[in-house]
Amino acid sequence: MTLAPTLALRGISKNFGMTAALTDMTLELFPGEVHAIAGENGAGKSTMIKIMTGIHQPSSGVLDVDGEPVVLNGSKAARMRGIAAIYQEPMVFPDLDVTENIFISATSGLFLNRPAMRRAAKELIARIGMTLDVDRIASGLSLAEQQAVEIARALSQDVRVLIMDEPTASLSAHEASELRRIARALADDGVSVVYISHRLEEVFQLANRVSVIRDGKHISTKLITETDPQTLIAEMVGREVGNYFTKMPSTATSETLLSVQSLSVDGVFEDISFDIKRGEILAMAGLIGARRTDVALALFGMLKTSAGAVTYKGQPLKVTSSRQAIDAGIAYVSEDRRKLGLAMALPIRWNISLATLQKYLTPLGLINTSAEIATAWDYKKKLNIRTPNTDIAVGNLSGGNQQKVMLAKWLNMAPDLLIVDEPTRGIDVGAKAEVHALIRAFTAAGGTALVISSDLPEVLALGDRILVMREGRQMAILNHADASQESIMALATGQKDAA
Amino acid sequence: MGLLSRLSPAALRILALLVVLAIVILFFASQIEGYLNGRLFNRISSSVAIMALIATGQTLVILTRNIDLSVGSVVGFSAFATGSIITNHPDLNPLLLLLYAALVGTGFGIINGLLVAYARVPSIIVTLATMALFRSFLVEYSNAKSITSDSLPAWLTDFPNLPVFSIGALEFRAGFTASLLVVILVHLCLTRLRPARALFAVGSNPEAADMAGIDAKRVVFAAFALSGLMAGLAGFMFLARFGNITVVAGLGFELKSVASSVVGGVNIFGGSGSVIGAFLGAILVDLLETSLVRWAVVSEFWREAILGALILLAVATDTILSRRLTKLRTKKSKEAAQ
Repeated sequence: MTLAPTLALRGISKNFGMTAALTDMTLELFPGEVHAIAGENGAGKSTMIKIMTGIHQPSSGVLDVDGEPVVLNGSKAARMRGIAAIYQEPMVFPDLDVTENIFISATSGLFLNRPAMRRAAKELIARIGMTLDVDRIASGLSLAEQQAVEIARALSQDVRVLIMDEPTASLSAHEASELRRIARALADDGVSVVYISHRLEEVFQLANRVSVIRDGKHISTKLITETDPQTLIAEMVGREVGNYFTKMPSTATSETLLSVQSLSVDGVFEDISFDIKRGEILAMAGLIGARRTDVALALFGMLKTSAGAVTYKGQPLKVTSSRQAIDAGIAYVSEDRRKLGLAMALPIRWNISLATLQKYLTPLGLINTSAEIATAWDYKKKLNIRTPNTDIAVGNLSGGNQQKVMLAKWLNMAPDLLIVDEPTRGIDVGAKAEVHALIRAFTAAGGTALVISSDLPEVLALGDRILVMREGRQMAILNHADASQESIMALATGQKDAA
Repeated sequence: MGLLSRLSPAALRILALLVVLAIVILFFASQIEGYLNGRLFNRISSSVAIMALIATGQTLVILTRNIDLSVGSVVGFSAFATGSIITNHPDLNPLLLLLYAALVGTGFGIINGLLVAYARVPSIIVTLATMALFRSFLVEYSNAKSITSDSLPAWLTDFPNLPVFSIGALEFRAGFTASLLVVILVHLCLTRLRPARALFAVGSNPEAADMAGIDAKRVVFAAFALSGLMAGLAGFMFLARFGNITVVAGLGFELKSVASSVVGGVNIFGGSGSVIGAFLGAILVDLLETSLVRWAVVSEFWREAILGALILLAVATDTILSRRLTKLRTKKSKEAAQ
C-alpha cells in the first residue's frame, strides 16, 4: 500500500497520573481496509479509541490525518475530520426519535427540515439493510436497533474512519453477520474501518489486517492471512491459553430440580417445556428476539405467565416478584450489567452483598462491615477479580471484572438455580475462560445453571443440553453429543423445523 | 391509521393535559355558581401572563437536567430596576425599557450559567445561593423604598389590560397575548431550530451528547441565560400589572415555575417536555389556586394542602393518561404494520 494512511498514530503515549495506559503506540489505517484490533480488556483499546476520537489528548506522540499532523481537541474536531466511533453500549438519546438521533451531530442550517431529515434517515437505515420506523423514540429500541441508529449517524457525516468497538457483542448471529456485511461494504467504499471484537472467528472472517495490543503496547500488526487464532490469542494474553471451548463432563444428577411445562406469556413466548437436573447446565441458544431472556424473567417472577406450570424442588413454583424468586433460591444474572446488574458508582463489596444484605446484619440491625469485607475478599481471590481493594467503585473495573463481581453477588446467595444471561458478553478470552470455569465449579458443587448465550462456541462449551428457541417458540432440546454450531444455527434461524 | 397513531408522544401529553384541564373546569363549574365567565378568564390569563414566561425559561433549564431556583429573585429585581428607571426617566422609549428588563434578567442568568456550566457547581446549589444573593441585591438597590403605581406612566400600567381580540366572552388582553406569543415563538424555536435539539440531547444523555460533538457547557450556559432573559421579561410584566413593587416581588415564583413545568409534563430529569406543556401547567396550577379561593367548602387553612394534593393528582392523572395513550398508539401502529 503506497497511499498515505487516512489516520496514523505515531509513538502515542498516554498517562493517567502515574499509570501508563498507552506506551509508544503506532498504528496506520489505510482507506478501504478493515483493521481489527485485538487485545484483552484493559489492554488500552478504549484509551486508544478515545485518543483517535479526540476525547483524550495524547501525553506524547503525534496523530496524522492524510499524512498531516493534527490536534484533535474534542470529539467535534474528530468528527470534522471524518473520524467516528460506535460502541458496544450504544450512545443514543432515549428521549429523541430515530431521525433526531441520526442527525443530532449535524451542524449545517439553522432550521430543521423534518421531511428531508426523515427521508435521509430512511435512506441511511435502508443502506445498512435495516427496517426501522424513523419516528420511533429511541428508548424503546433494542440494542441492535440502537446500534443501527449509531451507524446511520456516522454515515450521515461522511465518515472516513469508522471505529467499531465490540459492535456485535450484543447482536444475534444473524444481526452480527449483517453488521459485518455493512462493515465490509463501508471498507469497499474506501472507509477505514477499525474493528474491535473478542469474537476471533469474526476477526478472521472480516479483517484485512489485525493489530494486537497488550498492556498499552503495540505487539504486532499482520495481514490476516499471515496469522491464526492460536497465535493471536497467545499474543493477546502473552501466554498460551488452554482451549476454553472444550466441553467438560456433565455433573448432572438424576434428581430433577426444575420442570417447566407448556409455559407461556401472551404475545411473548409460548409452550416452553424443559427439565433441568440438579448439577446440570442447560444452555439456551437462539437469536436476539428469540425471547430467551423473557423465559428467564418469567422463572424469576418478573414477568407474569399466562399459561403453563413450573415445578421446582418437587413443588409448584409460584413467584410473582424477584424477592420471592431469590427467597426460593433462584438467582438471575442479567445480560445488561449497566442497567440491571450492578450499581456502578458503588464499591465492589457493596455490590457483592447487595442481594444478601440480611446475612451481614449485627444483632442491632447494623451492617457488619468486617464480614462484608471478608466475603468480598474471598470472592476477589476465588474469582480472580483484578482490583487492589474492594472499596473501588465497580464502574472503574474492566468489563470482565465487572462480570465477575456480578457473578459473585449472585453466587454469594448460594442459589439452587443460577440463571446467567450472556455471561461473557464483551469480555476477553482470559476472563471468558475464568467465567466458564466458575459456572462449571458451581454445578460441580451441586448447583444448577441455566445459561443463555448467543455465542455458539460458548453454548457448546457449557451446555450439557441445549434448548434452541426461535421467536418465542421452543425449537428443540439437543444433547451435547448431537449438537453442533451448524445444527443450532439451523434451528435458531428456522431453516430446520422443530423435531 | 387513526389520529391517535399519528400523534407524537409530546402531542399526546398535551392532549392528556387538556383533558385534565377540562375536568378541573367542569368540576368547579358544578361546585361554584357563576364560575364560568369572562372574569375568571381575565383573572387567570393576567396571572398566567407572568408565570408562563418564567415557566418557559424554567423548562429550558430543566430540559438540560438542571434547575433554576433564582428566577423569583430575578423577577423581583427586574421589576424593581425597570420601575425605578421609568420613575426617574418617565419619557423613556417603551422598547428601550423592555430591553432594559431583558438585559437585567439575562445578566443574572449569565451569572448562573457561568457557575453551573463552566465552574461545574450543581445547579441546585448555585441557584439556591443566587436566589438569596439576587434578593439581597434587590434589598440593597431599593434602599428599602418601594415603586408605586402612581409614579409609573399610564401606558405601562394600561398595557397588560388593553383588549386585543376576543373569542365570545373571552377577552384576550395585551399582556396575556404577548406572553402567549413568546411561548409559541419559543416552542417553534425548540422544535424547529437545529441548535435547540442540543438542549434535549444534553438532558437526554449527556455522555452521548459529548460523543456526538455537542458542546454541553455552552448549551447549559445558554439555557440559564435564556431563563434569566425570560425572568427579566416576566419582571417587566409584573411591574406593568401590579405597579407597586416591594422587595418581596416575585417571592416563591421559583417553585411555582417548577411546579408549572412538571405539571406540564416536563421531565424533571431532563430530556423531554415542551414549553406548551409548561404553559398549560401554569394555567392548571393557577386555575386550581384561583378556584379554591372561591370554593366555599374549603377553609382557608386547608387551601394550600388541597392545592398540593390536587397538583399531585393532576400530575398522576396526566402521567397515567399519556402512558395509556402511548401504549394504545404503539399497539395501533404495530397492528397497522402487520
